[in-house]
Amino acid sequence: MASLRCIRELSRRATTVLSINQTRSICYLPAIEVSGTSISHGTVISNRSLTRDLPCDEGEESSEGEDEDDEDYEDSADTEVEREYSPAEKVEEAAEIGYKVMGPLKPSERLFKPYEPVFAIVQIGSHQFKVSNGDSIFTEKLKFCDINDKLVLTKVLLLGSASQTIIGRPILPDATVHAVVEEHALDEKVLIFKKKRRKNYRRTRGHRQELTKLRITDIQGIEKPEPKIVYKPSKEAVTEQSKAELVA
Amino acid sequence: MALRGVWQLQKLVVSYCNWGGSSRGIRAFMESELPALKQKNPQLEVVTELSRGQHPYLKGIYRNRNERVVCVKNMDPEEVLLNATRLRNSLGRKVVKRRTRHVTKHPSVQGTWTTAVKF
Repeated sequence: MASLRCIRELSRRATTVLSINQTRSICYLPAIEVSGTSISHGTVISNRSLTRDLPCDEGEESSEGEDEDDEDYEDSADTEVEREYSPAEKVEEAAEIGYKVMGPLKPSERLFKPYEPVFAIVQIGSHQFKVSNGDSIFTEKLKFCDINDKLVLTKVLLLGSASQTIIGRPILPDATVHAVVEEHALDEKVLIFKKKRRKNYRRTRGHRQELTKLRITDIQGIEKPEPKIVYKPSKEAVTEQSKAELVA
Repeated sequence: MALRGVWQLQKLVVSYCNWGGSSRGIRAFMESELPALKQKNPQLEVVTELSRGQHPYLKGIYRNRNERVVCVKNMDPEEVLLNATRLRNSLGRKVVKRRTRHVTKHPSVQGTWTTAVKF
């Protein structure tokens, strides 16, 4: 109908005016009084509320302007979108999602001690592991760490030794578990085979999960029992002196 | 790719052809990203080999005398870098499916539970 066409034309102009300069006052908008229509909603300032009442054609034009606000994505060889993280964001995400804190890179020091009969239950992402000194753990790929990086796993749920058990509610804030990143590698290929019988439908897909191997070096927050070997002191905080003695 | 602090990848052999089209990506990789890779990994011995008429490949030689060969024909330089980084990031072990994600030699600290244990 002619009246509808008029309304659409005027409203199109209204949206183009708004998208060019959003700060312009509303007095430039046409005031239409046609029976049965709701264009008088144009008195509302925001772009979005105007477009909400209009048919879908106008809505598409306004949505294009919002795409400029989206983040810039890095081009990468991976099909996934990779964001650039600032160092503060990295630390925060690592702490929240992976429950780990980046420590400095490993210098030429000996971190790998012999076995101590102490265990901890640690959570990384959504998986929980019962770890002890010298164990290896395969987790989902941890983004912000490289090989030979020291990590501190902060989400510790339980500590245990031969004589003592400390249960966290739900985590123990003073306990820490130190680990070293050993490798970032792909798991073996698993074949995902889908078939619907008698329907001529068969699909085969391969998948390799990216894993990170961590080696647990130290658990702190619990009294460790005295070892039988004399030259190793039995204090909780492993001293540099014992390492120097072992090296020498 | 470091077992107890020791880097496992000893040598990376970058083999390419200076005529073939499948080596285009790896030639670009050698100009743009290989020096950065060499600088970041001083412990790694990177060797470039020319093999005319053959498709390009990356060969990683590990400490356990395992060789992993990755064919990089018709790949972009970014993909070649990704493959080289993957070789550098992994141990030389054979990729086998594990049953558990936890490898330990001492499974129990407080003693394995049996039905006879009373707390």
